[in-house]
Amino acid sequence: MKKLGAAVAVVVLGGALLLGLSSCGSGGGGGKEGGTLKGSYTSFPDYMDPQLSYTAEGWTAMQNVYIPLLTYAHASGEAGSEVIPGLAKELPKIANGGKTYTLYLRKGLKYSNGEPVKASDFRYAVERMFKVNSGGSFFYSDIVGAEKFQETKSGGIPGIKTDDATGKITIELEKPRGTFDNELALMFVAPVPPNTPAKDQSPNPPPATGPYEIVKSDPGRGWSYERNPQWAKNNSKLMPELPSGHVDKIDIKVIRNQSTEVNYVEQGKLNWMFDPPPAARYAEVKSKYEGTQFRVEPTISTYYFWMNMKKPPFNDQKVREAVNYAVDAKALERIYAGQLHPTQQILPPGMPGYKKFELFPHNMAKAQELFKEANPSDRNITVWTDNESPNDEAGAYYQDVLKKLGFNAKLKVLNADNYFTVIGNLSTPELDTGWTDWFEDYPHPNDFFEPLLNGESIQPTNNENFSQSNIPALNKKVDTLGEEQLGSSQEEQYAALDKSFMEKAPWVPYGNRELSTFVSSAIDLEKVIWNPTFEDDFTSFQFK
Amino acid sequence: MAREPQAEPAPAGAGAGDELPPAPRGVSAEGAGPWRLAYRRLLRNRVALAFLALFVLIVAFVLAAPLWSRYVAHTGPNTTHTLETIAVNGKKREVVAPSGVPIGPVWFGAGGKFFLGADGGLGRDEMVRLMYGGRTSLLIGFAAAAITTIFAILLGLLSGYYRGWVDAVIARMLDVIWAFPVLLLGIALGTALAVGGLKIGPIEISGSSLWIPILIIGFVYVPYMARPIRGEILALREKEFVEAAVAQGAGPLRIMFAELLPNLASTIIVFFTINVANSMLLEAALSFLGAGVQPPNSSWGTMISGGISIIYTSPLLTIIPGLMITLTVLSVNVFGDGLRDALDPRSKVRLEARLGQAEAEGTAI
Repeated sequence: MKKLGAAVAVVVLGGALLLGLSSCGSGGGGGKEGGTLKGSYTSFPDYMDPQLSYTAEGWTAMQNVYIPLLTYAHASGEAGSEVIPGLAKELPKIANGGKTYTLYLRKGLKYSNGEPVKASDFRYAVERMFKVNSGGSFFYSDIVGAEKFQETKSGGIPGIKTDDATGKITIELEKPRGTFDNELALMFVAPVPPNTPAKDQSPNPPPATGPYEIVKSDPGRGWSYERNPQWAKNNSKLMPELPSGHVDKIDIKVIRNQSTEVNYVEQGKLNWMFDPPPAARYAEVKSKYEGTQFRVEPTISTYYFWMNMKKPPFNDQKVREAVNYAVDAKALERIYAGQLHPTQQILPPGMPGYKKFELFPHNMAKAQELFKEANPSDRNITVWTDNESPNDEAGAYYQDVLKKLGFNAKLKVLNADNYFTVIGNLSTPELDTGWTDWFEDYPHPNDFFEPLLNGESIQPTNNENFSQSNIPALNKKVDTLGEEQLGSSQEEQYAALDKSFMEKAPWVPYGNRELSTFVSSAIDLEKVIWNPTFEDDFTSFQFK
Repeated sequence: MAREPQAEPAPAGAGAGDELPPAPRGVSAEGAGPWRLAYRRLLRNRVALAFLALFVLIVAFVLAAPLWSRYVAHTGPNTTHTLETIAVNGKKREVVAPSGVPIGPVWFGAGGKFFLGADGGLGRDEMVRLMYGGRTSLLIGFAAAAITTIFAILLGLLSGYYRGWVDAVIARMLDVIWAFPVLLLGIALGTALAVGGLKIGPIEISGSSLWIPILIIGFVYVPYMARPIRGEILALREKEFVEAAVAQGAGPLRIMFAELLPNLASTIIVFFTINVANSMLLEAALSFLGAGVQPPNSSWGTMISGGISIIYTSPLLTIIPGLMITLTVLSVNVFGDGLRDALDPRSKVRLEARLGQAEAEGTAI
């Protein structure tokens, strides 16, 4: 998933694992129950709709509201990557050579509005996700009949059979899919009531199945949660593995100025901020509060510039190589105030299959030579970035590099709230090159190749393959590897795939990000869980 | 031809004579045209002249941007220097520290390079950006004020002269624009146009063009100037000199532009200076909010906006462009005031009369 803005810090803390596990469940280990958690985001999430959101902002906000059939353990570090049963009774039974998945919905679950959760609601969620052209569609297009449904949006998906009486859900796949468990644990397919309209529900999010429900959502400004009344009555007893949370209410405000957010957390006006402190205040906050209110958090992420391979000038591999030689990841490290570690490849450290290599060591002379050889006729290009610090500066740096290389580059800085919606829409004019990032959806390297580089995942809206990379041989490799279960041989092959893609230079990867948790003195930092996918876990926040 | 408002010698002479020190060399109201009189009055207003000089200095400063950039700083306004080191008084220093904090002012320590330091993680030369940003801010101020003035004159003349339904349509249109808070209208237009640009018939303006903020700012201030002009025209067209012109067979165009317009000269000039100042302030506000000048181009507004995020470590990055805006707007406003007093001294007398100064009241009556 992407992140609209701001930073990540990767120093894995010694006791992260133990710490995460100890904070599951409510009431354990002292501390107060109840209270209102006041938090802030720098930007409103892309969508406040489980089927649509594909950003860290949205996933953090909705993790404890919409529970999929499977879900992730509420724990920090590697333990947080474990897939556990959510609304389903147990992990799926896989048969037919990895093509048939069978699950049973737990009996007695209810939505926050009191309606019962039915097995067919899962089917509705998948259909709804295709109907709204969600960015996550490609994860599920291997379901029998899904591709046709994606095009026609009618007739149902024959590959999903549900029985509301028994709660049985059977999913037939066209071909095996090694990552399907992980994908069933994503919010894209979290059941919602069948009367939820098939359009963006951000101003009026659907009823919840998790411990918290969103009671108010004001896009662009903020949103709030209260405890889901059905959680204590029904759902929590049925899903004892999932934590109930400590606070009663959560209020999140959008505060555009990151420095103001830091001030408010310091003064206790806010208990938590989603985004890390801005570059200019990072060192100060870290030295003052590390260990008490501030913690550097690891992420599995890659920051990169994409280049549109579909049209000139970036359809020429030499031009893309020239840009790779020209960008200096060390300069970007400094622009990100050290919260980013330089890289030149797709897979980030910590992801299975990561093997370090550097194909394009910074060399401006070589870049200019390659550019001269390629001599692109179209030199008027637009560079896209969002307005959150320091992504805007990264964009300005990139534009300057492209100018030095010989392009006539224009910079377009968009509001972070709708940045990905605009650049993910193929009808947006002048999509030449720009900034983006990618945070893992699950600990499987396929997650970096299939959505971002496989030609088959290009879609007209909510597109994630910003380079519009479509290299048949490599598409095929992604497809075949995606069918297999991950083992050491697959990891080797993913490492090779990483290199094969970078030889075609569809991106200019420049860094792996560090993030952080910063809370007010009233919050017990030790209990806060940092999940590698969902980041800060609201159920783990507790007042001292 | 009548130029009534300025041509009444009694209050003009009396006001100026009581107000200001005696004229040095045979200055008298007799035989001098109204423009000449105004010029003389202006010359006697030392404060206005001092601020005019300050304004000229600021203009000279920003016009020198390419010279400073090429011969002193040796860098452009958008050129990044993140990883570079410079020798300041013989000592090597990094333009941007590894923590992301930019170098502060080094004055002439590096031969004029980074005179005011660097602007943030990108290590761009703050002085060069300040000079180029000033060009942008002043250009927007003047161009937007010119657009406002042209439209306001046209609309005010049409609406005041024709009255009836023409007036009704124009005046209501202006009311609609007036009803919007200026800043909100500016932000709405700015963000909408920044993505897609503007396309009206054959004219196409890209989203990053400076013309976008110029047009927006010029547009939102039109009612603020058009309505007073309309009011004056409504009053003026009842005067005898208009009747005389009609009797001579003059057409509407001639009456509007040759008879009415010259009578508005002082109002227009004064409004123009106020508009320049207001436009610059709105530009700064819009750019600060991200709806004005688009990055990486600098204007004083965008520089403040960029500086705010690092105000704790480098406060000068916010203070310096802020000071430039203050000085420029102040100089334009004070000079505009002086100009108004010179062109229409009665306004000052009226003002003082209202303040209850008996003497001024006596002279005025």
